Amino acid sequence: MRRRFKLNINHNSEFELDLAPLLAVMVKLVPVLLVSSAFVQMMIIETELPQVVQEAIKQQDNNVKSAHITLEVNKVDGVKIIVENNGEEKVEVIANKDKKIDLASLHAKLIQLKQANPQVFKIDLSPDADVAYKDLVAIMDEARKSKSNDIKFKFTDTKTGLESQTDYMFPEIVFSNVMDG
Amino acid sequence: MARNRYQVPTKKNQSFTLNITSMTDMFTILLVFLLQSFSAGEVTLEPVGGVRLPSSNTEKNPINGVKLSISPTELKYEETVVARIQNNQVEASAIDSSDSNFIKPLFDQLEAFNKKDPTLAKTGKVLLQADESLPYSTIRKIMYTASMAGFPNVKLVTTVSN
Repeated sequence: MRRRFKLNINHNSEFELDLAPLLAVMVKLVPVLLVSSAFVQMMIIETELPQVVQEAIKQQDNNVKSAHITLEVNKVDGVKIIVENNGEEKVEVIANKDKKIDLASLHAKLIQLKQANPQVFKIDLSPDADVAYKDLVAIMDEARKSKSNDIKFKFTDTKTGLESQTDYMFPEIVFSNVMDG
Repeated sequence: MARNRYQVPTKKNQSFTLNITSMTDMFTILLVFLLQSFSAGEVTLEPVGGVRLPSSNTEKNPINGVKLSISPTELKYEETVVARIQNNQVEASAIDSSDSNFIKPLFDQLEAFNKKDPTLAKTGKVLLQADESLPYSTIRKIMYTASMAGFPNVKLVTTVSN
């Protein structure tokens, strides 16, 4: 009878992992990523001019019940919110705070407006010539989305007829006075 | 009498193993950081020198379009300077005499682009990198001219706010 060969395994042996190939890959990857990385992350804000939203404007014009909201921005007075609904016009002014636009009050007012007009997603922005670009971007930020996760707006999907919820308020912002003389 | 100099005994043919574990650790951290900041959008935008972009909470990645930039000193179409900016306004020589909002050199460049790349021009998209300090009147002139040249979809480029 043959004797079985018994493999001698030393369970206490130590070995060193060869990290050289891994390091070689990393040394090549790091410069590639360093070159191609964008450290200043840039995003875009969509704006639409009156020409491209003609159809939407026509639809809103045909729908007399739909409210039409305009924000007039003035460097001295602040933001004037004009709401035209069923031929009636309501004007409210969000006055400047410490010579700056009161963004918190504006946001709160826009939430109220959205809750009152859930089917309206488009607003007109009509700034004065001397209003700084960064102030306009800040206003657009306030109007686009609700900052609170608890506040959602119910609206009816026109295609399915089902009720949906969204945190978007007025994502379509049209510079209404671009083509004015 | 001169002293005998002490000589360190060295073995010429000795080999040694470099411990690269700590270096690999460092590279792993660096790689994770770089992969996180790696932009995976379809278009990568190069920041234009002298333009301080406003920050915004928008979550939309840049898309392809004609790249315009305006700093407190110059208005650029792609890399070409089309007009100078003086006191935050487009220089008078670049403005059409019959229309105060019309920037003639910009219109000419956009018209040329319409012929050069009709497919992209058809989308009518403009990516505008504008300095945050500029007044609306200057931005409006660019929007107006772009719109007249068949580029009514103006996308405002911003940085990500915290």
